[in-house]
Amino acid sequence: MDLLCIGVSHKSAPIELRERLALSEEAQVQLLQRFAPIGEAMLLSTCNRVELYLAAEDLAAARQCATAALQEVAGAPEVLHHLYEHQGERAALHLFRVASSLDSMVVGEPQILGQVKDAFELAQKIGSARGELTRACNAAFGCAKRVRTDTGIGRAAVSMASAAVELAGKIFGGLAGANVLVVGAGEMAALAARHLQHAGAKRLVVANRTLARAEALAKEVGGVARSLDDLGALLVTADVVVSSTGALRPLFTRELVAQAQKARRHRPLFLVDLAVPRDIAPDVHELDGVYAYDVDDVQKVVADNAAARVAEAAKAEALVAEELARFVRARAVRAQVPVLAQLRAHAEKIARAEVERTLAKLRDLDERERQSIAAMAQAIVNKILHAPTMRLRALDDGGERLADAAAQLFGLAAEPAVLPEADDAANREAPRAQGVKG
Amino acid sequence: MTRMLLSIACHVYGLATIVYLTHLVRQLRGLAVVGRVVLAVGLVLHGAALVVQVTGQGGVPLGMAQGLSLLSFLLLAIFFAIDLVYRRPVIGAFVTPLALAILVPAFIVPAELAPLPEPVRGPLLPVHIAIALLGVAAFAVAAGVGLMYVVMERQMKGKRFGLLFSRLPPLMVLDELNRWLVVLGFIALSITLATGAFFDSTFGFHLDPKRIATLIGWILFALLLGARSLAGWRGRRVALVTMAGFCILLVSFLSSYDPGRFGGGGVH
Repeated sequence: MDLLCIGVSHKSAPIELRERLALSEEAQVQLLQRFAPIGEAMLLSTCNRVELYLAAEDLAAARQCATAALQEVAGAPEVLHHLYEHQGERAALHLFRVASSLDSMVVGEPQILGQVKDAFELAQKIGSARGELTRACNAAFGCAKRVRTDTGIGRAAVSMASAAVELAGKIFGGLAGANVLVVGAGEMAALAARHLQHAGAKRLVVANRTLARAEALAKEVGGVARSLDDLGALLVTADVVVSSTGALRPLFTRELVAQAQKARRHRPLFLVDLAVPRDIAPDVHELDGVYAYDVDDVQKVVADNAAARVAEAAKAEALVAEELARFVRARAVRAQVPVLAQLRAHAEKIARAEVERTLAKLRDLDERERQSIAAMAQAIVNKILHAPTMRLRALDDGGERLADAAAQLFGLAAEPAVLPEADDAANREAPRAQGVKG
Repeated sequence: MTRMLLSIACHVYGLATIVYLTHLVRQLRGLAVVGRVVLAVGLVLHGAALVVQVTGQGGVPLGMAQGLSLLSFLLLAIFFAIDLVYRRPVIGAFVTPLALAILVPAFIVPAELAPLPEPVRGPLLPVHIAIALLGVAAFAVAAGVGLMYVVMERQMKGKRFGLLFSRLPPLMVLDELNRWLVVLGFIALSITLATGAFFDSTFGFHLDPKRIATLIGWILFALLLGARSLAGWRGRRVALVTMAGFCILLVSFLSSYDPGRFGGGGVH
């Protein structure tokens, strides 16, 4: 079993290509199921990246299946020129960096971790993420959490919404007097609406295809809910528009905006498109007095003043390297040492530690009493581990799932640091533990 | 006495210029307040110098030196008013050096006046000149604000942001400033034309570059104000027309102080 990551991101592909790879949840499930015969699979699809994380014995087959699938989805062979690929340890590193928001266009933006979690949950739900990807993801989540708490990268993170607010301020001088229209009521739209309200927007309108969801969001941010039916009329009274819907075709066409501009007597109009595929047609920006920014444009603004985060990012990279080393060590140990030995080492370590703690408290015991306490702890370990040991031995072949389950049940994946220095026995059984597959 | 007051004011403006330029680079709030205070002191001194000068001469600010001095005073006064209402000290970094560049030559050009023909010595000429200079000052600031608008708008459209982007005022503020300044300038220009027409009716009308340029400028700004209120013109187009109109008026202003004219007949 080895890891493979194949995909495109804002670093490798333009938005035109990325929006072609956007998939509904249903289509994502179908895509993941194609990998069932090969191994494990997870699809991370955000507006900045579409990546497949795979775990398989036969990486060549996995690679072939992935490129074929992505090419099919994009409907164009040119996607192949924009694909990048990471394997083994490098794939894990990439996942860690993505989850920690170090590979984001806006380094440190907080949404990516939730998106990775969503991707993992979907893959787990349909059974395409099992032992290997589960361990990798759990380690990545732990790493992301450490990066967030131990470095200033999250604090300094400037979300796209705040970049949009900054740009709007450069047109209107503040949001207090501006009419703000939020189109869509999904997570991104909600985030933007909250941010806009926080930044001083007083007159907020939330428009959504299903009115009920618009009402919920409008209530939260103190705005008014509207249906999407008459977008043209809503545009006439709007100064700032933030759009983030799942629509596959642009809602704002050049004709629609041009018509609205006439009715608004050419007051400046600022449109921010946080959706991929885009909600605003690219040629809208050409209209006089209209400023339309898509995801890439907005993030460029943020990237421009992100220099201050470089130092924090370096700190975060060091943390990621540390976490990766830990993950790789654990993986190597797992590859060499049967789960059984790990389990025993784990249990014995706990027993030994507890015995030591108890004995430290009971100072006035003699040697015999001390030995019998240690023996009792060992006996408990043996008795508890007896049944699992028998079962796992019996299922020597094809017992991988049960072994994985055991590893997960006893938290062997979550506490990899325990393993390398675990037990003499474990070390003897894993003489090549340091040799790591690239 | 006048010269000393003016010289002190000039030095104070120099200090204000340094403060505003530092503010442009450093963006410290305190500097904006310091700039405001320093500029206010300079304006009071300068105003006193102007008053002394005018009363000393029987109320006629006619020579080129006084014209330049009054123009720089009006420029700074307009900026000061804008800063009080809109709190945009950034504009000061552009207006103060300009005003200084106009005021310094006032010390170099001869302050003495050629004797005026008797009938022009009424109170109307100084009013004509002062209001004409107010118009020039208002349009100068309007053109500067228009230039800022064009720069900002270019960056918004090009989606590439330079150093000035974070410092210049928002587009809507610049547009609003442009509107008020053009209205002020237009009123001043209209009064200038009306009083000028009165002189012409007294001394006879003759077509010269000054009159042609002033008239074209007036028509242009009349059309601009009409387009703004009736056709909803705004933003970049208005900024560009304002800049063009100012260039035309600049011709008019410079030809008013044609050195050859002082020895000869007309002053206006």
